[in-house]
Amino acid sequence: MTSLVGRPVARVDGRAKVTGAARYPADNPVPGALHGFLVTSEVTKGEVTDIDTSAALAHPGVVAVLTHRDMPRLTVPPFPYLKGFIPMQDTVIHHAGQPVAIVVAHTVEQAHGAATLVAVRYRAERPRAVIDDAAESPYLPPPFRDRRNEFQRGDAAAAWAQAEICVEARCSSATRHHNPIEPHATTAQWDGDRLTLHETAQGVNLTKGVIAAVFALQTENVRVVAPYLGGGFGAKGPVWSHTIINAAAARILRRPVRLVLSRAQMYTMAGHRSEFRQHIRLGATRAGKLTALLTTTTAQLSNTDESIFNTCESARFLYDCPNLHIRQEGVRLDVATSSYMRSPETTAHFGLETALDELSWALDMDPLELRRRNHTEFNQETGQRFGSKHLLQCYDLASRAFGWSQRKRRPGATKDGDEYVGWGMATEMHTFAAMPSTASVTVGLDGKAVLRVATQDIGTGTYTIVSQIVADAMGVPLDAVQAHIGDTALPVAGVSAASATIASVCGSVDRAARAARDAVVRLAVADDRSPLFGVPSDEVETRHGHLIHTRNHERRDSYRAVVSRSGKPVEATGSVPNLPGLSYGVVFAEVRVHARLGSVRVTRVVTAHDIGRVMNRRTARGQVIGGVTWGIGHALMEHTVYDRNTGRVVNPNLSTYLVPVCADAPPALEALFVDEPDPGSTALGARGFGETPITGVPAAIGNAIYHATGRRVRDLPITQDKLL
Amino acid sequence: MRSFSYASARDSADAARMAGRTPGAAFIAGGTDLLNLMKDGVQHHPHLIDVNKLDLSRVTESASGLHIGGLARMRQVAEHHAVRARFPVLAEALLASASPQVRNMATIGGNLLQRTRCGYFRDTGSACNKRVPGSGCPALQGWNRGHAVLGTSDSCIATHPSDLAVALTALDATVHVLGPAGARRIPVGEFYRLPGDTPQIETSLRPAELITAVEVPRYPAASRSRYLKVRDRATFEFAVVSVAAALHLRGHFVRDIRLAFGGIATKPWRSAEAEAELRGKNLTVQRVEQAGRVLVRAAVPRQDNAFKVELVQRALVELVLDLGGLR
Ligand SMILES: Cc1cc2nc3c(=O)[nH]c(=O)nc-3n(C[C@H](O)[C@H](O)[C@H](O)COP(=O)(O)OP(=O)(O)OC[C@H]3O[C@@H](n4cnc5c(N)ncnc54)[C@H](O)[C@@H]3O)c2cc1C
Ligand code: SF4
Repeated sequence: MTSLVGRPVARVDGRAKVTGAARYPADNPVPGALHGFLVTSEVTKGEVTDIDTSAALAHPGVVAVLTHRDMPRLTVPPFPYLKGFIPMQDTVIHHAGQPVAIVVAHTVEQAHGAATLVAVRYRAERPRAVIDDAAESPYLPPPFRDRRNEFQRGDAAAAWAQAEICVEARCSSATRHHNPIEPHATTAQWDGDRLTLHETAQGVNLTKGVIAAVFALQTENVRVVAPYLGGGFGAKGPVWSHTIINAAAARILRRPVRLVLSRAQMYTMAGHRSEFRQHIRLGATRAGKLTALLTTTTAQLSNTDESIFNTCESARFLYDCPNLHIRQEGVRLDVATSSYMRSPETTAHFGLETALDELSWALDMDPLELRRRNHTEFNQETGQRFGSKHLLQCYDLASRAFGWSQRKRRPGATKDGDEYVGWGMATEMHTFAAMPSTASVTVGLDGKAVLRVATQDIGTGTYTIVSQIVADAMGVPLDAVQAHIGDTALPVAGVSAASATIASVCGSVDRAARAARDAVVRLAVADDRSPLFGVPSDEVETRHGHLIHTRNHERRDSYRAVVSRSGKPVEATGSVPNLPGLSYGVVFAEVRVHARLGSVRVTRVVTAHDIGRVMNRRTARGQVIGGVTWGIGHALMEHTVYDRNTGRVVNPNLSTYLVPVCADAPPALEALFVDEPDPGSTALGARGFGETPITGVPAAIGNAIYHATGRRVRDLPITQDKLL
Repeated sequence: MRSFSYASARDSADAARMAGRTPGAAFIAGGTDLLNLMKDGVQHHPHLIDVNKLDLSRVTESASGLHIGGLARMRQVAEHHAVRARFPVLAEALLASASPQVRNMATIGGNLLQRTRCGYFRDTGSACNKRVPGSGCPALQGWNRGHAVLGTSDSCIATHPSDLAVALTALDATVHVLGPAGARRIPVGEFYRLPGDTPQIETSLRPAELITAVEVPRYPAASRSRYLKVRDRATFEFAVVSVAAALHLRGHFVRDIRLAFGGIATKPWRSAEAEAELRGKNLTVQRVEQAGRVLVRAAVPRQDNAFKVELVQRALVELVLDLGGLR
């Protein structure tokens, strides 16, 4: 039987999604559910002095208006609750848009209408929201979980001082928001001390743990359900305060309550990518060998949490460099807490790949050649050889497809009509996580397989890939497999973040499916009613839903016949602990810059990635399209603006926070893969990949703009005013 | 959003009458701006009068010019053969606006009356003189990248967002309105008002007046006209700066030229002075550059929008040289 794994299998949930049959968390009907809407703080720093709820309470349909006066005292939960405080526990305001009340009504419209009638009075202080306005200089925060913020190898300062060639750059990028198209939504349903949440969660089990801690519940009394997700990009990984407030309201009112954030609320309540500064210095020999890498980054932190998310992994691991000094600093500001955003490493990687491009010009060396010269097969921190790293092959594949050898070695050398044409490249790298997981497969009397595993499909294709794995492992057609995911009632799996889904679930799903297959084979050969009776188990192969004697194809049985004869379903489980790792790649980009107006178009992109085994070419390519498009947004347009006087986000909507539209996506995009199974992988040779294909895109575009125009822009986004 | 009552008008007179009777009522056409404003709490209307059933959506051409019904959809006007052939700047301005979905819904009347995209205006948590007169203008010292450099006041520096209005301003269109007191015709140059110290009053429309049509006169320059829109992404975005130009040339001699600008001013901006630099002379690069300098002579740039002063001059040169065949 031809393998399904690796093939560009179409999404098994595609039809359900485009016909509306797929029920996203806020679509799930919950009988008797009321609707909540949050009232949020207008001021950024200060205190609530009075809340008058009388007009809102008089609004038709309103059941309750709850404030800090009504909330139970709750425990601030540990990671992955990132906010550092729970709003509405007291009167203190830490950031604009912080919830101060929740209106609960019979309809969404009533709740929205009444929310405009809640009159809140504040005592306001002058806030500081952007790095330039910080009161103190940046500091080195303590480790975030077990992760240090300073790394040193060799003597970087001395090596820099003695380097033959030096490059120094200061880069910055603006605050960004995730903007998944589906807003955060939560429905809380209590049954005594048992709580069910229909939640837009990237990690159902992660959410379950946090919520149990907040409300001091037994973990087994919390169930979190998230069968589909309309995008997450990290925003739905952590648990945010609206979920807690809504669940508290539902408990007080003894009725299920549903809450959906407005688009504007998503700019203050569900994390963001920090405003970011980076100072980077590279030292090298005249032959282009890196001798020193020093980088200090500054992230915008909140006043209630000091976690650093935009870390310098690529500086630590990507290139061979004996002397390294990384400092990941931050400044505390009156903003909402930041968080992970696809890929957190992109932010600092822009500085590294930009500085390398500058070094290549300083050396008069092809930037691809510079990267080849600094390639390493060894983990720079442990000294161990990487088990499987095909980055050089990525360079070859993509540069050939792009035609990189034709590149002109002078900036501004190519003009086509009104536009300068430029080429740029950057290496891509991302560290993926992996969590232990357990899966179960049940073969029913109808011979069909039902897979159960509490992973998630955040739009990336999990349903399809796990179904492919089960179909291959059991030798059944794809439509004989049904996958149930996104529910804590299923066997435990980890969060779909940090590109961890594939790396965390493929192994256990495969094991469970193989165990189920073996169990059915054993049933058959032991059953005197089966044509396979008495055949040794290892002489039975499975194909197209059939069990077949390998030496005599006439002797065959079917899953359906075997299991229905036995009278009860066959169930098996599989578990794998799994390992984190790295995925690599390279991106080449062509840009066209209008000679007089400065507008930039990205016209051609070629990528090549080493992600171990490619489980599904179509969904993998989808990740590349999404990553490249996201990278274009990052490079050219996306930025959240804080008003410096009030600390409020001034563009909290998709009309003024610009994300790329179809016309901004490159007309030509080629996504190549090395497709070599990683022998160290516990996931059928695959590695985590989802976030890798954005990491190099902003730098590749910035480098291409330099090649086109001779203008080096180190501050993202590169809007056209910077190129006039 | 607060709750509201709703009624559908039978004809224009009925609509104007209904509006005259109910203080705070608003007409709803495509609803593509009005509903956003109401949902965001920027505007509250106790009553909406639906005008979609009115027989005001025809586009007709006559010897004197083009007559566009106030309820014609943006898409319909953009695709109309007479508009494309003889008033291309209108078609280009419309096609450069919003998205196909919005253009299918949005009407010409609604387009002219859409409100500014100033972020403070649309955020009820911020002060804004246009939304709450007297509350202040945070854009003066705040984020003003999208704001105006011409026609500003100490009260307001918001740009008018409509692309169509810029093109109509270049073509000297007239707005036809009908109110409880009867019908009027307002030249588009008098339709929009500068903010002064009453930025909440944007047009010379009187309460309960309905836009029934827009009339565009026929003259030779209109058929050689174009719209250039410069923006921060490829499409589906308002202008950073835009230029509408209509040019009547004989050889290189400029018999007539009309220039209007978007994204740089508090209302669709016509510059008679810039036109005067070019009208009745031979078209040269230097003269167009001079026209650009004249255009921005009175510009008041601010922290984030200073680049517009340069960018609009470049856009003007780009467009007029293209249109004049000098490039
Ligand atoms: C995402 C997005 C992007 C956009 N991009 C652009 C762009 O790039 N360029 C651009 O120019 N526009 C753009 N627009 C604005 C769009 O063109 C307007 O929303 C639209 O033209 C409004 O028309 P409507 O019929 O929907 O008006 P409505 O929303 O129904 O009404 C708008 C206002 O006009 C009043 N009104 C409507 N019709 C009449 C009438 N006949 N007489 C008197 N008053 C009336 C209403 O009471 C209301 O105050 C964009 C809009 C959106 C949502
Ligand atoms: S520029 Fe005008 S619309 Fe914007 S905040 Fe100021 S007054 Fe309001």
